[in-house]
Amino acid sequence: MRYALIHSMDPDLAPATPEAFRADRAHAASWAGELDAAGVRLHGSRLHPDYATTVRVRDGRTLITDGPFAETKEQIAGYDVLECGSLDEAVRQAGRHPAPPIGTTEVRAFPAHAPGGRLTGPAEGKTRYLLLVVTDPSVDPAVFEDLPSVDAWVAETDGAGIRVFGSELEPPETARTVRERDASILVTDGPFAETKEQIAGFDLLDCADLDEVLEIAARHPMARGGILEVRPLWDGNER
Amino acid sequence: MRWPDDGVPDRPGAWLMTVARNKALDRLRRAGTHRAKIEELAVMASRESDAPDDTDDSGIPDERLRLIFTCCHPALAAEARVALTLRTLTGLTTAEIARAFLVPEATMAKRLVRAKGKIAHAKIPYRVPPAAALPERVPGVLAVLYLVFNEGYSASAGADLIRRDLCDKAIGLAQVLADLMPEEPEARGLLALMLFQHSRRDARTDGAGNLITLEDQDRSRWDHGQIERARACLGDALLRGDPGQYQVQAAIAGCHATAPAAAGTDWPEIARLYRILSRLTGSPVVELNRAVAVAMADGPAAGLAITGELEVGGTLDGYYLLPATRADFLRRLGRNAEAAAAYTDALALVGTGPERRFLEGRKALVTTGEP
Repeated sequence: MRYALIHSMDPDLAPATPEAFRADRAHAASWAGELDAAGVRLHGSRLHPDYATTVRVRDGRTLITDGPFAETKEQIAGYDVLECGSLDEAVRQAGRHPAPPIGTTEVRAFPAHAPGGRLTGPAEGKTRYLLLVVTDPSVDPAVFEDLPSVDAWVAETDGAGIRVFGSELEPPETARTVRERDASILVTDGPFAETKEQIAGFDLLDCADLDEVLEIAARHPMARGGILEVRPLWDGNER
Repeated sequence: MRWPDDGVPDRPGAWLMTVARNKALDRLRRAGTHRAKIEELAVMASRESDAPDDTDDSGIPDERLRLIFTCCHPALAAEARVALTLRTLTGLTTAEIARAFLVPEATMAKRLVRAKGKIAHAKIPYRVPPAAALPERVPGVLAVLYLVFNEGYSASAGADLIRRDLCDKAIGLAQVLADLMPEEPEARGLLALMLFQHSRRDARTDGAGNLITLEDQDRSRWDHGQIERARACLGDALLRGDPGQYQVQAAIAGCHATAPAAAGTDWPEIARLYRILSRLTGSPVVELNRAVAVAMADGPAAGLAITGELEVGGTLDGYYLLPATRADFLRRLGRNAEAAAAYTDALALVGTGPERRFLEGRKALVTTGEP
């Protein structure tokens, strides 16, 4: 089974000095290196909340805004996709990641048909973007009556070599959220953020620039039915 | 690209161009020796070496246009767009921009660093958007320039010069945009609007910094040279036969600017223009302005009918100008007790400064023995 690990960081607990930041990076790199070598980690990346852009289409108009979908204190700071035997095993691996002590790691299963396999980096001149698909309960349910299935969008972006990964996730109530406080691991049921908007799935898109990925995001049916958040994968080397 | 943690480099324009040049180099590597790409790179390189001051007006126009579109990209926060545009295209320092927008310099520096980080990392393209995307993108650019202008325009005579200087910066940028995008009449319309408004700068406050309403302004103190320039601009824009909100607003400002005296204002024409503007924008604030024009054309009772509808609509709740406008209509109808109550409502919502003093003065007028 494949699991998504969605790491968030609490700015109050974030590494405050360059040394602490480097130590955090080294910890994450060794975690990823070990799981890569064991064939457990398929792909993953840091994500910088400052570089997030949200896309909504409302009443036929594309609305582009700076920043992540939810104005929560904790912000998504990275993701990983793991191949694990069970949810408990994925939760155990999450507990070894550097995020739980300074934030949270949400563990969420992919449905069985989600694509597996490792990814190679984007082609030269392309940037890989994470496209978070988020529900928005404030959208009029009538909108969904006319909403096409995502299949055409998937076929088009797959065919163009733009979409390199993507899947919905099992519902948020099936998630486990891992924190580490005072040297003890706490695992709770449910997603990391208690917001009305919830992550429904995500894609990875290789595009030339932000305008291209925003244009593709705006054509996703959930741009009308929810919120799409676009973030470039971030190597963690610069701020 | 690396970007330092500790503050903004002196020349963000040059930095943006370096980003752009690196991107161009990437493209070149992919495209081989495509001639157009080489020319593009040569243009950027010569700009970097020949004109180290990125605020130089003699710069290659196309590059300034690209900078404007990059700085005003919708994926940047609105406040960052304004700051980045001023920093990159007008030569204002970070400290000056911070002072102009009344925020600490460290806050402004952080805002700029963050915006530049996003341009580099999220790959906000350094280019004028393709024609198909212009209808979506141009209004955003115009909005940034108008915001800069209004920030300066709302600064009273006593306020920091840097704030008032924003008007000139905005006019300069609108001129660049209008010249470089002659096919966009709204850019020229915005320029005309700014020029009309700015022509009244010396007449709109008294020596103590109090606001003087349009009807009471000394029209000989208006800048008639600037009014002529504005009229020419608006004429050019309207010739394209594609009116938009800035052209209509400029036409309204032009009606005021060309009236020899307040009593000679063509209010029916202004009311008609506001109706067009209201349809174009769907904005309740425009509708409130229309109420003022209609009250001038057809009497305060006609204006009061429109403010009544706006009150029912509720979209302007909390906006002091709605009760203030209503109060003015009631005052002119001689309904002083109701006017005083409306002034009280407005005073509960207005900030400090000349607007408050003005409302207090008017309230005193209706509560002290006027018939």
